[in-house]
Amino acid sequence: MTKNRASGLLINTVLTILAAVTMFPVYMALVNSVKTQGQMFESVMALPTEFHFENYSQAFNQINLLGSTLNSVIVSLVGIGGIIFAAGLAGYKLSRTPGRLSAFIFIMFVSSMLVPFHSIMISLTRVAKALGLQGTTWGLGIIYVGLGVNMAIFLYHGFVKSVPRELEESAQMDGCGEFQTYFRIIFPLLLPITVTIGILDFLWVWNDFLLPLLMLTNVDRYTLILSTNMLFGEYNKEWSLILAALVLTAIPVVIIYAFCQRFIMEGITEGAVKG
Amino acid sequence: MSTRNKYVSLFAFTAPALIFYIAFLLIPMIGAFYYSFTDWNGLNRDYDLIGFANFVEVFKEDPDFVNSLWFTLKYVIVMVVLQNVFALFLAVLIESRTRSKGLFRTLFFMPNMISVIISAFMWTFIFSQVLPQIAEKTAFTFLNQSWIGDPKFSFYSILIVSLWNGVGYMMIIYLAGLQGVPQSLKEAAVIDGANAWQRFRSVTLPMIAPAITICLFLTLNSSFKVFEVVYGLTGGGPGRSTQVVTMNIYEEAFSNNFRYGYASAKSIILFALVLILTLIQVGVTKKREVEA
Repeated sequence: MTKNRASGLLINTVLTILAAVTMFPVYMALVNSVKTQGQMFESVMALPTEFHFENYSQAFNQINLLGSTLNSVIVSLVGIGGIIFAAGLAGYKLSRTPGRLSAFIFIMFVSSMLVPFHSIMISLTRVAKALGLQGTTWGLGIIYVGLGVNMAIFLYHGFVKSVPRELEESAQMDGCGEFQTYFRIIFPLLLPITVTIGILDFLWVWNDFLLPLLMLTNVDRYTLILSTNMLFGEYNKEWSLILAALVLTAIPVVIIYAFCQRFIMEGITEGAVKG
Repeated sequence: MSTRNKYVSLFAFTAPALIFYIAFLLIPMIGAFYYSFTDWNGLNRDYDLIGFANFVEVFKEDPDFVNSLWFTLKYVIVMVVLQNVFALFLAVLIESRTRSKGLFRTLFFMPNMISVIISAFMWTFIFSQVLPQIAEKTAFTFLNQSWIGDPKFSFYSILIVSLWNGVGYMMIIYLAGLQGVPQSLKEAAVIDGANAWQRFRSVTLPMIAPAITICLFLTLNSSFKVFEVVYGLTGGGPGRSTQVVTMNIYEEAFSNNFRYGYASAKSIILFALVLILTLIQVGVTKKREVEA
């Protein structure tokens, strides 16, 4: 028993030290974001003696926080809404339809999950330009639908197998059309996997950098990440301003993490096990 | 339902997904293949088919690309090993806790929520301001390195940020795997006199083989596509010493010469590499899973 307690203490110590190391950069960013440049050069480790929140108000304006957040929200809503709508329909039908054609379409979607984004990005910018989607937030959202349906279809396809067929059969006997049956009966039953897909895709779209960088040309349309990237480039070395901006950018995801932690972690395991 | 109606309904349900998929994934993919055989430069309307000339040039006359390829391979190998070892190590330790399990899981996973590029900026502050100052004021003088400016050290900086950001995700998957190991098996091993290491080696590891397959797949895939960490930390520099493949493609296509055809050839090489290596990895680990 004493041996167990000693090893428990050791494990706790190791974990605590590692957790402290993990949190160190975040702590440093927080502490130094309320200092002046001079106080920072004096000592980065010292706790702030006075709080310079003007760093935050300056960063707030420089990254156009409200506008950028709104842009990120639009991109995420269009992207995730589109993915759930299109992939739910397709995943359900492909899972319920036997035969070669259905299997072929399914494999076509799934195998494309191996394609690296960087391999298609050049042609993708041309397609986006040709369709007039470049430079708009909704256009960017639509492109995410095209890139994200494959994984979502895969997850829906697997989940639908656990939904009993009797439900839709009886609904159709009652005179429900196929689409009506799907939206009224099936889609609500898919809620658990819809939540998983929504979370995984939100984290992807919200935090994505390269696609918005290629698609959005106008500063007014920049997502939160892009605005912060621009600030980092422009105000190189003005650390108090940059750190305040980094904290502001990280806050939305950390809040969501605090409230949806369980769903996020379940979503990851769910996605991984099915994948 | 008649066969014809069946097809109509199949197409009606899959049409929205197919349209987006074809427009933004399939056509760009086919485009990348096609353009890789052309000398299209993005600015000119005209271009010619030039066969395999781009691919020959990549390997014969483009030391920058070949270097970026080696650098990426080095990064992939180290990342796949370290990320999985750290994640599994943390998961095993956390799984052995009772009351503090949730807290540690929350803390170690948190960096994963922060966008990679934001993480890279945050760490730039640590590497350029915090660590040199700590070195100056304390006995930890080894911390005073040119973490970002010196290619010898910037490789480690890139690794540190990548691990900081990515380990949590794998840890969650390993934790789920560990929870699936039946308690009775562990107890049986204890009764048989197995020590902690033997229990881990002979009971836990084989039982979490599926999680290992998934995590190896995910880390292999994502580390080949590394871009943001390097972009945010070193920008590929100094010079091109820390340039990764994706960045070389990006530079070729968008910031240097707009040689779309040539850059497409590089992107096809990247695709082929990812495809071949992940197929080999999945094949090998799946086979082991069955044997175990």
